[in-house]
Amino acid sequence: MVVVPPSASRLDAIESPTLEIRNITKTYPGGTQALRGVSLSLRAGVVHGLVGANGAGKSTLIKIISGAERPTTGEMVWLGSSTDWRRPADAQSAGVAVVHQQSPVVPALSVLENVYLGNEATGLWKPQERVTRFAALCERVSFVINPHTIVAELSVGDRQMVSILRALAQDPELILLDEPTASISPAERAGVLGAARSLAAAGVAVVFVSHFLNEVMQICDEVSVLRDGELVDEFDRDGMSVERMVEGIVGSRLHAIEATKPKHDVGDVILDVRGLQSTSMNSAVSLQVRRGEIVGIAGLLGSGRTSLLKAIFGADRRVAGEVVVNGQSLAASPRAAVNGGVAFVPEDRMSQGLIGDWEIWRNTSLADSRELSRRFRFLDVARERLLANRARRELGIVAPSVDTAVKDLSGGNAQKVVFAKWIYKTHHVLLLDEPTAGVDVAGKADLIKLIRDLAERGIGVLVVLSEFEELLSLVDRVVVLRHGAIEMEFPADAVSVADLTASVGGLA
Amino acid sequence: MTTQQQQHAEAPDAEALSQSVGTRLRSAGVSLRPQRAGVVYALILLVVILVITTIAMGQPAYLSSTNISNILGQVAPDAIIAVFMTVVLISGNFDLSVASVAALSAAIALETIDTIGTVPAILLALLVGAVVGFVNAILVQKVGVNAFIVTLGAMTAVRGVVLIVLNGESITAKSQALVTIDDVVLSFPFWVGALVGIGLLAIAVFRFRQARRSTALPLDGFFVALIISGVLLLVVSFTAPDLLTQPLPVWLMVFVTVGVSLGLRFLVPGRKLYAVGSNPEAARLSGINVNFYKMAPFVLSGLAAAAVGVIYAGRFDSVDPNALTGTELTVIAAAILGGTSLFGGAGYVGKSVLGTVILFTLSNGFNMLNLGSNYQYVVQGVVLVAASAVYTVASRSRRRRKVAEAAPPASTLSSTLSSTPTLTSAPTPTGAVAPERV
Repeated sequence: MVVVPPSASRLDAIESPTLEIRNITKTYPGGTQALRGVSLSLRAGVVHGLVGANGAGKSTLIKIISGAERPTTGEMVWLGSSTDWRRPADAQSAGVAVVHQQSPVVPALSVLENVYLGNEATGLWKPQERVTRFAALCERVSFVINPHTIVAELSVGDRQMVSILRALAQDPELILLDEPTASISPAERAGVLGAARSLAAAGVAVVFVSHFLNEVMQICDEVSVLRDGELVDEFDRDGMSVERMVEGIVGSRLHAIEATKPKHDVGDVILDVRGLQSTSMNSAVSLQVRRGEIVGIAGLLGSGRTSLLKAIFGADRRVAGEVVVNGQSLAASPRAAVNGGVAFVPEDRMSQGLIGDWEIWRNTSLADSRELSRRFRFLDVARERLLANRARRELGIVAPSVDTAVKDLSGGNAQKVVFAKWIYKTHHVLLLDEPTAGVDVAGKADLIKLIRDLAERGIGVLVVLSEFEELLSLVDRVVVLRHGAIEMEFPADAVSVADLTASVGGLA
Repeated sequence: MTTQQQQHAEAPDAEALSQSVGTRLRSAGVSLRPQRAGVVYALILLVVILVITTIAMGQPAYLSSTNISNILGQVAPDAIIAVFMTVVLISGNFDLSVASVAALSAAIALETIDTIGTVPAILLALLVGAVVGFVNAILVQKVGVNAFIVTLGAMTAVRGVVLIVLNGESITAKSQALVTIDDVVLSFPFWVGALVGIGLLAIAVFRFRQARRSTALPLDGFFVALIISGVLLLVVSFTAPDLLTQPLPVWLMVFVTVGVSLGLRFLVPGRKLYAVGSNPEAARLSGINVNFYKMAPFVLSGLAAAAVGVIYAGRFDSVDPNALTGTELTVIAAAILGGTSLFGGAGYVGKSVLGTVILFTLSNGFNMLNLGSNYQYVVQGVVLVAASAVYTVASRSRRRRKVAEAAPPASTLSSTLSSTPTLTSAPTPTGAVAPERV
C-alpha cells in the first residue's frame, strides 16, 4: 500500500475553522445520552481523524454535522456564523458532503450519471460539459475511470470512489468520510486514502472516521478520540500513536476484564451436535460443548456462523443430523429448543430478539410466559414485573423504569434485556450471535462478565464473535468455520489473534 | 433466592414503593388521549350532535330506550364479526372473506334445516365457516400467499358457492326454529345490572389501591374502562332498566366482546397473539408457536362469521345471493375506527365494537333525520379517513414532544446512577428512536 505523506500545507490553514462545534450534547428520547458536550474544530486543508468504539457517539456526531439530526444543546459555527441545520439538505446546500461506509449508488446507471444524480443545476443534461467537469473531478483525487462505465460492473472499491466523486461534485467545503474503507479490499484502500489527502490539499476540510487505526495514522493531521459520548483525547501528528488511540478508545476497563480471565473446570457434555445440516448450510457439522465451557466460533462473514447457530436452535429447516441437549434429542423447532433448555441471542436484536414497542417487562417474559403464568394460563403480571426489576438491577439495565419501551434503550441495554429474557429460566445451553455488536465498551465489559458468570453456573456457551481479540479473551476453545465446515479447533490460550485471522482466511 | 434476599434486593426501589395519587391518575390519563380514546370521543360527539338535532327538529328523543335497542340490534351481528376481525388484524393478517362466509352459512342453514333438523343444520353452518377459515389459514401461513389476496379470493369464491347453493334465488325454510332463536329475549332485573356496575367500580378501586406499589402495572385504559362501564351500568340500571332486556344476538355481542377482551389481556395466549403480530421473527425465536397464533384467528373469524350467518338467517327468515355484501368492509372500517393497526400487534376488540356502533349510529341518524341514505356512504368514508388521520397526527406530535422533553429526565437519570458511572455509558444509534433521515 502506498503511504501518502501528510500535506505540508497544514500550517497555511490556520484561518478560522470551516466548522466549529461547541459543547454539543445529544440526548435521545428514553434518556440515552449519545453525546455529552463535544467540541471540535474542523479546518480547511486538514484531515481530521475521528475514532472511537461502537457506541462512542461517532455516528451521532456525523449525523449532527450532516444535518440528519439536531443537537440537544450546544452550538455549531459554520464559516464564522452560528447555524442550525434542520435537514440533511440544509447541510448539503451549506457545503457539507458525506460518504458513507456503503454509499447508495444506482447500479444500473453510468458513473457519470451517478456522480451528477440529484445534483443537476438545471433540468438540461449537457453531456459534453459534464464529461469535462467529471475529468476535473477525477484529477483532483488522482483517479482514472471511464465515465460511461455502468456502475454495476465496478468493484466495491471503485463504487466507493464514485461516491467520493459524487460528494466532490457538490463542491463541498467539508467532506465527511464515514468508514469509507470498511467494506473494500486492502488493495483498493490506497486509492480512497489518497483521495482523502488530495481533497485536503485542495483546501477542503476532511473528517475521516475509521476503525482502522493504521489508516488514521497514515493520513490524518489530527485525531479526536470519543468514548461514551465524550471527547477523551485529541492530538496532532506529533503526539499520534496507535497505543495512544487504543488507550483512548478502550479506556482501562476492558483491559482489566481481560486480565482477570478466570480458570474454571468444565463438566460433562451438555450440547452434542451430531452431523447437523440445515437448508442454509453447505455441509454437516458436529461439535460438543461441555457444562461451564465457552466455545467460540471464528469465521469470516459468510462462513456459515449464523446458519450453524440457527440450525442448532431449530430456526432453519433441518436436513440431517441431531442436536442433543442434556441427553435429550431435540426436535427441529425453536419451540422444542426453548423447551429443551436452549437459549438464543440473535445477531439483530431489534428485529429478532425483542419487540421494540413493548416495555422491558413484557420483553423479559417473552420466552418464559408459561413458567411465569398462574393456573389456567392466567398471566401473572406482578411476577413478570418483579423479574424485570430484578433483571434491571442485576444486569445494570439503565432505564427510567421497567415500563420503558426497549426501542428507546441503547444497544448495550437492549442486549441485556435479550439476555434477561433467557437467563432467569432453566436452561443448559446459550447460543450467542455477535452478542456485543453495537454495544459500547462499558456495556461490552458487563456482557462479557455476565457470559462468564453464566458459564460458571454450569451452562454451555457457544458464541460467534467477529472481533477475534474479544473472542479469544472470552472463550475456552475456538472452532474455526470456513465455507460452512469446521476446519480447525484450538484451545483459546494456544492461539493468537494473528493465527486465528490467518486460519479463518484459509492462510494457515 | 430466599424471601429475605428478595426483600433486600427490592430495597433500591423503596422510595418508589408508594406511588402518589397524582402519578397513578396521570398514567391512567394517558389512555384518555385522542390517539388512544378517539373512538369514544367520536361516539360521544356524534350522539350529542344527533340528540341536539333531533330536539331542534322536534323529533322523538334520540336516546330513547327503543332507539338504543334498535341500534344495538342492528350493530350486534357486525360487531361480533368485528371482534374476531380485530383478533385477525392483531395477529398481523387480514380477512376479507367474512361476509361471504356469513352468507354461505346462512344459505346452508336455511337449505338444510328442514331435512336434517335445527341443531345439525346450525353445526353444519358453523363447520363450513371454520373450514373456510382453516383453508385461508393454511394458504396464508403454510403456503405463504399474502392474506389480502387469499381472502379476496375466498370472498369471491365463497360468494360463488352461495350463488350455486341458492341457484341464484332467494330461499326460505319451513322451520321457524332459527327465527325463534333470534327472537329469544334475555332480560336481567335492574338489581343485577346495578350489582355488576358496583362490582366493576369495586374492582377499579382495588386496582387503584394496588397500583400504589411500583411493581404493579401502572393504571391504563383497562382501569378507565372499568370506571366508565361501571358508571354506565349503574345509570342504565336505575334510569332505563328496560335496556337490560335485549334479544339473544345483543347479549352474544356483549359476552363475546367482554370475553375476548379479557382473554387477550389476562391470558398467556393473548400476550402471545400480540407478540406474534408485533414481531413474528422475535416471537418465533422466543419459542412461541407462531403458526398456531397466525392460523387460529382465521378459524375463529370464520366461525364467528358463520354464527352471524345463522343469526342473519333467523332474523330475515330468508337469504338471497347478495346477502351481507359489503359487511367485510364495514367491519374492517370499524376496527380501524377503533384504532386497530393494519400492521398487526396493536388493537382492542372493545374499541372495534365502539367503531361498529359509530358506523351504525351514523346511518341510524341519517334515517332519523330523513337526510336520505345517499349521503351516508360519503360521511362514513370521510369519518373513517378523518379518524385515521387523527390517530396518525396525534401520535406523531406526541412523539415529537417526547423528543423535546427527553433532556431533563435523562440528566437526572445519569446523576442518580453516578455511583456506577461505567453503566451510564453512551448509547449506540441503533438504540435510539429517532429515525434516520437521508
